Amino acid sequence: MTVDAPQNVGTAPAEEIEPILRVRSEPGVTKPDPILTVEGVHRTFGGLVAVDIDHLEVQRGVVTSLIGPNGAGKTTLFNLLSGFERADRGRWTFAGQLVSGMSADRLARRGMVRTFQLTKPLARLPVIENMLLGAADQSGERLWVAPVRSRWLDEERANTERAEQLLEQFNLAHMRDELAGTLSGGQCKLLEVARALMTEPKLIMLDEPMAGVNPALAQSLMQHLSQLAMSGVSVVFIEHDMNVVAGISDWVVVLAEGRVIAEGPPWNVIHNDLVIDAYLGRSAGQAESTEREEPS
Amino acid sequence: MEFDIIFGNAARAAFGPEAVILALAAIGLNVHFGYTGLLNFGQVGFMLLGAYGTSVSVATFGWSLWVGIPVGLALCVALALALGIPTLRLQAVLFAIVTIAAAEILRLIIGSTDAIDLTGGPLSISFDAGAFYDLNPYAEGPQVRYGVGTFAFTGQQMWVITVGWTLVALASLAVFLIVRSPWGRVLKSIRDDENAARSLGKNVFSYKMQALVIGGVIAGLAGVVDAIKTSGADPNGFRPQVTFFTYTALLLGGSATYVGPVIGAILFWFLREWIESFLRQLAAEAWLPQSISDPLSGSEGVISVGMVGLALILLVLFRPQGIVGNRTEMLIDDS
Repeated sequence: MTVDAPQNVGTAPAEEIEPILRVRSEPGVTKPDPILTVEGVHRTFGGLVAVDIDHLEVQRGVVTSLIGPNGAGKTTLFNLLSGFERADRGRWTFAGQLVSGMSADRLARRGMVRTFQLTKPLARLPVIENMLLGAADQSGERLWVAPVRSRWLDEERANTERAEQLLEQFNLAHMRDELAGTLSGGQCKLLEVARALMTEPKLIMLDEPMAGVNPALAQSLMQHLSQLAMSGVSVVFIEHDMNVVAGISDWVVVLAEGRVIAEGPPWNVIHNDLVIDAYLGRSAGQAESTEREEPS
Repeated sequence: MEFDIIFGNAARAAFGPEAVILALAAIGLNVHFGYTGLLNFGQVGFMLLGAYGTSVSVATFGWSLWVGIPVGLALCVALALALGIPTLRLQAVLFAIVTIAAAEILRLIIGSTDAIDLTGGPLSISFDAGAFYDLNPYAEGPQVRYGVGTFAFTGQQMWVITVGWTLVALASLAVFLIVRSPWGRVLKSIRDDENAARSLGKNVFSYKMQALVIGGVIAGLAGVVDAIKTSGADPNGFRPQVTFFTYTALLLGGSATYVGPVIGAILFWFLREWIESFLRQLAAEAWLPQSISDPLSGSEGVISVGMVGLALILLVLFRPQGIVGNRTEMLIDDS
């Protein structure tokens, strides 16, 4: 992977994950090396409280998954943190700096990049151009440099090379010159993740990246995410498939009705009664959790 | 039926000053609509400021034409900023409404009787464009014509269209150079999905603003050519349909293509003049029954515009990419 995090290159995964393993499994717990710290973030839609988070920290360099029943506020939380929606109140810091209220594009330039649940391919641009758009700090994106091709051509070539490598990894190399609007839903998901990686993010936030991706590709996408975390990129993703969550997350945060109701390593959280309640409804959850004790 | 006259007239319109003006306006609109996806329905407002900025500078303030032209273009920059700063963050549709309203407001103010001392108000304004025509290298005279048959221009017209088509070429080249770059890629990404562009760290507002200014200044050039061509400006020349003709030309040629706006403008004037000329000939030859030719006479211009509109409808239905556009690109619907 091409990731600009030299301080972490070559670190064994075990060493990376170990600090997080010493963290207690309780909502809002502090973590040894947080890249993202969320404090009192609140958002209502009319009378509905969509997001109401007292405290949440995301550990640097690990894969954190965000789960919760439909309407739990996962996507809204993403939108708030990434600057696509305004929070009613609250503050959050990214990489040690206060970034609450900052615009989406500035946040992205600082290394916090998100993807969307409903993918946003640039339909009338070829796949490779979609990728190239992701590259950060392009001098050719400045109007006064743009007309002079020689001043950005080398950079463009280097970016193209990197884009092609990523397309290769995401099984999209054969679609390189096709318009992105012709991709299938699953391919769009992959393109969106690959495009986000072109920005060389510090934190990548993926909204249901596996939905609609065929199982084999989803498997390789999961490996990518693990590798990314190993190379020092922090990954947060929203996911519904518990197998995926259990498979690659180092840490799981459970949201219900806008609040963090549980967090911890996957094996701790997935069988947590509160979590089962949240997913299945309170009364049903209690009934089922006692009945199901043996088989699960 | 003398088709050589009809074709001559059509060709004269297709390469005359009117086509130059339409081509420049369409090149500017292509930057707005074709590449950035800005629904600018007030393109005529930029043309108006280009024309009146030049005319008023020379006629009212007595400045040199070479000062007047930059003044006209500077006013276009100012209009782009004034339109863009409050509205570019809004939805595309709201932006469209604001632009059409702004262009109309400008026309009504400039054409109002209160503005007579400054702009000539409803009476139109005229100035001495001698500074431009003094440079004319073409021989002039009442009998001097360049061309064959009805496809012929006077020396003055030749000078206007020579400079005009040179400007068209330069504007096209400038747009080509900036749009093929990573800068242009950001514009296209905003057109396709501005939130995607934002999520990848692009300052969408700033790019839209740049596009609005560039396209507006190119449309301002169209206004300058218009002012020089007629040595003045008339508020009635800047009605909203000018913007719609510009859209027609752009879609006819091919939106988001480099040569589309120019081809579209040439074709627009060719078709319009061909039909009008053809109808006049029909009437002159008395081939039509009196009951049809009587109401027809005098409204050939209106009918030809209607026919161009019909052509546009057919085009959108059967060749939505325009003459030179890419069909697959156009058929992708953005959901």
